[in-house]
Amino acid sequence: MMKVKVAVVGLGKMGLLHASLLNVLPNVELIALCEKNSFIRRFCKKTFKDINVVANVKELSDIDPDAIYVTTPIFSHFPVIKAIYTEEIAHNIFVEKPLASSYTKAMELCNLARDQGRVNMVGYNRRFTVTFRKAKEILDEGTLGELVFFEGYAYSSDLLEVEVNSKSLPRDGVLRDLGCHVIDLAFWFFGELKVEIAEIKSIISEGSEDFVYLRIKTLEGLEGEIKSSWCMKNYRLPEIGLIIRGSKGIMKVNDDKLELKLSNDKTVTWYRHDLGDNVPFLLGGAEYFREDEAFIRAILEGHNVEPSFQTALKVEQVIAQVKETARKK
Amino acid sequence: MNDEKVLLVGDNPFHGVSHLSQERATSRGEKLTNPSYAAELVITSVENGADGFMFTVSETTLSILRIISRREEYNQLQLYAIVPYTYEFVRSAPLAGGIPGLARKLAKEIASSRNWRAVVNGVTGIITTTPTALLRSYLIYEVFRLKSAAGKRANLVSLLLHELVTDMALALNMDWLFRMYIDFVSSVRIKPGFETRNFPCLVQKFKEWGIDFNGIVMAAPFNSIGFQMCPSREKCEEALAEIPEAEVIAFSILAAGYLKLPEAIEYVVNLPNLKGVAVGASKECHVRQTFNVLKKRCKCSGLEL
Repeated sequence: MMKVKVAVVGLGKMGLLHASLLNVLPNVELIALCEKNSFIRRFCKKTFKDINVVANVKELSDIDPDAIYVTTPIFSHFPVIKAIYTEEIAHNIFVEKPLASSYTKAMELCNLARDQGRVNMVGYNRRFTVTFRKAKEILDEGTLGELVFFEGYAYSSDLLEVEVNSKSLPRDGVLRDLGCHVIDLAFWFFGELKVEIAEIKSIISEGSEDFVYLRIKTLEGLEGEIKSSWCMKNYRLPEIGLIIRGSKGIMKVNDDKLELKLSNDKTVTWYRHDLGDNVPFLLGGAEYFREDEAFIRAILEGHNVEPSFQTALKVEQVIAQVKETARKK
Repeated sequence: MNDEKVLLVGDNPFHGVSHLSQERATSRGEKLTNPSYAAELVITSVENGADGFMFTVSETTLSILRIISRREEYNQLQLYAIVPYTYEFVRSAPLAGGIPGLARKLAKEIASSRNWRAVVNGVTGIITTTPTALLRSYLIYEVFRLKSAAGKRANLVSLLLHELVTDMALALNMDWLFRMYIDFVSSVRIKPGFETRNFPCLVQKFKEWGIDFNGIVMAAPFNSIGFQMCPSREKCEEALAEIPEAEVIAFSILAAGYLKLPEAIEYVVNLPNLKGVAVGASKECHVRQTFNVLKKRCKCSGLEL
């Protein structure tokens, strides 16, 4: 069996999660780990004797991986991916969401991917969640009739108890960290989005982006709004969801369930349990396994996979519009 | 053959967790995360047939243990503790400065506990970058925290490794970690345990690595619809049938509230080799009903089922 030789760059929680899942995929050989922090690196060298552990992404060129997973902090996605392409270290790249820390950087990475790359993918894993997949199927079948309005949200309590003016805040803001998932889903469901109104609120400290509201419109004229915050009460786990209204009914979908209420008063609810959520190996959530499996399969079969860098650029475009619109306001 | 099963009350509701939907967890409000209320639910469970408490070690559950330990009649409550509280670590990682930041935070906590055995192991682990010394230091610290909260006479039956750590170590073939964990936990006269959502894989790997199942506690989802039974319900049942010597505890028997109690119990009582069941409950009436029915069905011989 042909095996894809993979390296993982960045050994935080996402790096460890992907490294673990990759190691159970039958057609993958995890050959290298790359980590800047010397303590973690020394720890990994003692723990994984058969895997190369390096400090810098450029050292991976001697190891010759077929694919690289980039799971470093958001601000470093750009330099790491740029180095992988320009130094021709690997042609297939998976990067955890979002693609980059700005639209211009994301655009440059897309250009590099087009010129130097093969398969590329961004970790918008909600596309692999069974409830959102079912929602996409229902939308594509036209069950809701003509779409009227949608509301999206991405909430967590992650920073609810953070001290005001705390210096240890994530630097990229809630929209790029969490809200990007619901923007990606809205793009997947409805097509291109244009921001009409946007508001960014700072709750924790001056300049921090802790709550974002945006009013958007699709090219076909469907209107919607999205809210995102990491200071919401009672969201121990982050939750992404959408409420979509059509001429024939309403659909509510989130990470756990999908509720379809049709105009004839018929209501159907599907939980993950009803939608065949089991995977060969469960770690963190079934969507992570499906995502990694899809990326590896695309490499082996030589085709593209979604969400690609080009698709993730659309999310960056919306985030850039939000910042620009809110700034003008 | 004694078919009596250990009945444990689970702690998911006390952490604001519902695997059915986050919406359900949110709608339960904050009452459940109040340690006094939660401790009363645990006590009611025991009064209605539960033998013990299975919980992840956190500030909330340690507070629950402190409250229960004041009631002498519950001193022999069987405790099945799960470490570490991984979700809290994952949640706080970005603010703490990633994994190095979390390690520093934990090191400070261990140092301030003044448990010198934990401190010495920790310092050795850091200086020599020895994974086993670091793990030992952490485990000594957790056992110390548990005994401080539950009292010296507490009946700490098993210390289980949290599913995220178990399954990650499993995926990365870290057999040394499993061996070290079993050796260390056994050495402090507690049964080593592993919580997993990949039960067949864990069984297969243990066989490959020659790890003896005797005296090992394994906690995994078992329910009639195969919810979170990966890769499939059939594979999990087959793996369970292969290891009569292990102490396998089923959780998620209600598939996170998706199944009705009679249907859920009917399935688990008929599973061969299952040694116990853990169920979470959020209301006093549910606790009474659940453990009364469980007691009736799980504390009698197989023929009467």
